Order: sequence, then C-alpha cells, then structure tokens
Amino acid sequence: MRAVVCAAIVLAIAPFGLPLFAMTLLTEALILGLLAMSLDLMVGYTRLISFGHAAAYGLGAYTSGYLLLHTSLPLPFAVLAASALAGAVAIGVAWVCTLATGISFSMLTLAFAQLLYAVAFKWTSVTGASDGLAGIPRRAGPFGITMFQTKDGYYYLVLFCLLGAYAFCRSLVRSPFGAVLRGIRENEAKTLSLGYNTRLYKIAVVAVSFALGGLAGALYSPFAGFANTDLLFWLFSGQVLIMVIVGGQGTLHGPILGAAFFMLLEHVLSLYTESWALFFGLIFIGFVMFAPEGIWGLLTRRVRA
Amino acid sequence: MALLELDGLTKRYGGLTAVNGVTMRVEAGEVRAVIGPNGAGKTSLFHLITGVVPASAGDVRFEGRSLTRLSSYQRCQAGLSRTFQLTSLFPEMTARENCRLSAQARLARRWQPYGGQAVFGEASTRGDEALERLGLTAVAGRPAGLLSHGDQRLLEVAMALAQRPRVLLLDEPTQGLSVEETLTAVETLAGLFAGGRLTVLLVEHDMEVVFRLAQKITVMHRGSVIADDVPSVVKEDAAVQAAYLGGYA
Repeated sequence: MRAVVCAAIVLAIAPFGLPLFAMTLLTEALILGLLAMSLDLMVGYTRLISFGHAAAYGLGAYTSGYLLLHTSLPLPFAVLAASALAGAVAIGVAWVCTLATGISFSMLTLAFAQLLYAVAFKWTSVTGASDGLAGIPRRAGPFGITMFQTKDGYYYLVLFCLLGAYAFCRSLVRSPFGAVLRGIRENEAKTLSLGYNTRLYKIAVVAVSFALGGLAGALYSPFAGFANTDLLFWLFSGQVLIMVIVGGQGTLHGPILGAAFFMLLEHVLSLYTESWALFFGLIFIGFVMFAPEGIWGLLTRRVRA
Repeated sequence: MALLELDGLTKRYGGLTAVNGVTMRVEAGEVRAVIGPNGAGKTSLFHLITGVVPASAGDVRFEGRSLTRLSSYQRCQAGLSRTFQLTSLFPEMTARENCRLSAQARLARRWQPYGGQAVFGEASTRGDEALERLGLTAVAGRPAGLLSHGDQRLLEVAMALAQRPRVLLLDEPTQGLSVEETLTAVETLAGLFAGGRLTVLLVEHDMEVVFRLAQKITVMHRGSVIADDVPSVVKEDAAVQAAYLGGYA
C-alpha cells in the first residue's frame, strides 16, 4: 500500500520534472496501464482469458471520439458515456461468451472483437472506415473547465481515472464478490456446486472489465486526436494480454507496470531495429518460462529473499 | 412427510438406463447410505438429486417442494450440500479460506462488491466451527492442495458442513484412503453424525464404513433399488447377497 501511495505521488509531480515528449509517453503508458489492469480482472482474478480486449478499448475510443466530434458533450461526460457503453455491450457479449469455457471462451471473445473490427471498417458514416475518426477535439467543460485542453491537464485527468479505477478494482477483488471470483479461478465446478451462480459472476466481471477498458480507450482518442481500426485489431488484444502476463497477473499494479514496460521497450527497441517485435517476443517467452509471476513477482521475490 | 423424497427417478443415456425408477425417502435426522457395486448408478443418482444432470423421468422433492425445475446451484441454496467422489477443493486457498468461501455462499450479501468485513466475519465463524468439528483446526492455515489426502477428504466434508445444510450428501467420503486414514475418517464422521441433528445421504462401497455409519441402507443394482432397510436386515437379504455382498456377512 505504501508503495502505491509513493508511486501516486511520483506520478503526480512528474509533469514538473519531465520534458513534453516524455509526458506524452507517460500519458499513453498510463492509459495502456488502465487497459491492462482492466484485463487483469478477467485473466488474473477469474481465469477468463480474453483474446478480444481490444474490443473494449476500441469501443471506448470510437464512442468518445464520435461524441466529441458530433455532439457538444463536454469531454469528461463523453468519456464516461463511452465507458458505460462498453460495459453495457459487454453484458450482452459475456452472456454469449460464457456459454463456453476455457479455450472456447477465448475464441468467442476473439470472434466478437473481430466482428467489431469488421463493423468499424464498413460503417463509414459513423466510424470513418479505414480513415477512422480524425481531429477529435479535447473540448472544454463542464462548467468552463479548460484544464483538460492542455497536455499536463489531460495527464492529470488520466492519472485521476487510473488511480480511481485502481482503488475500485482493489476494493472489488478483496470483497466477498472478489472471493467468489477467486473460487471460479481455482475451481469453477466446485464454486457452482457451493451454490454460486458462477455465470452471473463472470458476466459481471466481464462488464466491469470492459467498462474500465472502455474508459481507457475513451481517454485515448481525445489524447491522440484520432481513432482507427488498429485499436480494434486482434494483434492489439494479444499485446494487452502480454502486458498483463509480463507485468504480473492477479496483482492489478503488475499489469500497469507491464504496460509501461511494453511501451518503453517498444520505444527503445524501435530506435535500433525494425523487427523490435521479435525481440519483445523473446523477452515474453523468457518471462513465461522463467518468471511466470511477471515483473511484479520478480520485484517482490527480490524483496522477500 | 420425509425431508427428501425421490419418486420414480430415472436417467437414461441412449439405450442405457443408469438410474431406473428409484423411489426413496430420507427422514430428517436420518443417516442413509446408498450402496451397490460399481456401475450400480449411485453417483448418477447423486447427480440427479443435486441437479448436475437433468432427470429423464421422476421427481425430487425437498420439504414437499419439487426441485425438478431448479438448477444445481439453486438446489444447493435450498439446503442440499454435497461432496464429490473425486476431491474437489480450491487448492491454493488455505483450508480456512475454503470453508469461508463455502459458508459465504449461504449469506444474503455473498456477492457484495466492496468492503465485506461483516460477510467475511460471519462466514469465517461458520467455517472455523466446521473445521473444528472435523478436527482440522490444526491444519486450517495450510493451503488445501498441500494437505494429506485424508485431510482433503475431511476438508470437503467440512466445507459442506460450513453451509449448515438441511441435507448433507457425501459421495464416497473414504474414496482412495489408506486403511488407517479410513479408520480415522470413519470415527470422525461417526462422531459428527452422533446426536441425530444432521440428515445425511452417503454413497459408499466400503461395507465396513457403511455398517458403521448408516442407520438405513438402500441397495442399488444396475440402476434399480433391490433392498431398502436397516443394516441388519439388508445384510441378510438374499438378493443383496447375490448381487453384491458376495457372502460378506
């Protein structure tokens, strides 16, 4: 807990010490961290392996982008509306996907994400097809607040969302609801036989996970100024899953570290080689084989020893 | 009125009739064993009672209410708690956490998505009480997956007990135990059943265990009931002797 507070303080004063390009990277890392943390609820806490978490991100990104381009909604409200929509869509998706378990569940999440990808490509009037949505404004308001229009101001909005989501998730996984999720992770058949309606719990956790993943996406498109189909592509779903596993699944803060690590490495490696993904793949294999508990696990292992 | 009544319960898998028109009454406070050779349909019968598989025909009534339309978790909520033939636990949780999660299932706020001190407190009290009744207090802090096989079997019973069930259904509680472990387990269970406050339905094929624990015995053979009486009468029954006991008595 002390480490979390320290990290929050360091992040809060970061804009005073870091140059502008670094702040841009850090903002994006926090957004991706929020996305990876949301996936951790499913993967790390419930053992629901989603190969389609880009769907949550893309849904959020396109929705907030669309609302900012075509309505006069202030930015925070557009972001919240996009997050709510992602959560609501997830209830329907999870209702279908939880008919299956294990690898079939994963394949259904992948199929759903690819479906959204195809929709984004074809529904030109709303999504802009292969051009995507461009020129998404960071509109001022509500109540005349203009803070989010500056880069640092937007960073604080992202940081606030991440910390809020973290506090929410932490409370959730330690609650009675979270204990049932852990039961589902370890032995779903037994959890069911104890009298828990496990499918409802799974649908609920997918909805929460998508709402938070949607929040991340909704924060991304006004930050970047655009939303395109890359955000919905299966490759991105895989990358988020890698962030969760490399960071340390089932810890919440691990996947945030994983996202930052992924971004940093992509940034550094791509300075030297075009095939940076190859090297990242090797690092990923290394983690899976030698440190399945991820970066966070490595850090705490060092502390305990 | 009996607490649990089975009425012509039948399960057919294609041409195979696994359970064939089983009618049985379990009174409150009774310890009843269902015995029979492998393939007699004992575990299938359990699955039908607990709703893991749907019945082809017949009815299960609990306190006079039909359970047929209820799914397995709803039947558990109604008061039927079961253990499995193959030990089914949460291996990475401690024995105490296993019992706590089990007890939590019976609390109204079991799904509460925040806080939870009150829920966890009440569930822990019930769970610890069950652990104590099965003599597992000493190992309560150990991960369930690291317990001895004998303790794991008893832990599963403790988990069911932590739910304060109306009917406790035990599927071969001594399955896979060594001779000594079986003796310990049977004495623990006998102590638990003494006093007649629990209603128990157990499936077992170890005769020693059955005659030590059960007040009433239902004998199944090829899906059908061939005898239903107190142990002393069942032992002497000619049909049972031929089908199963092979001159045991």
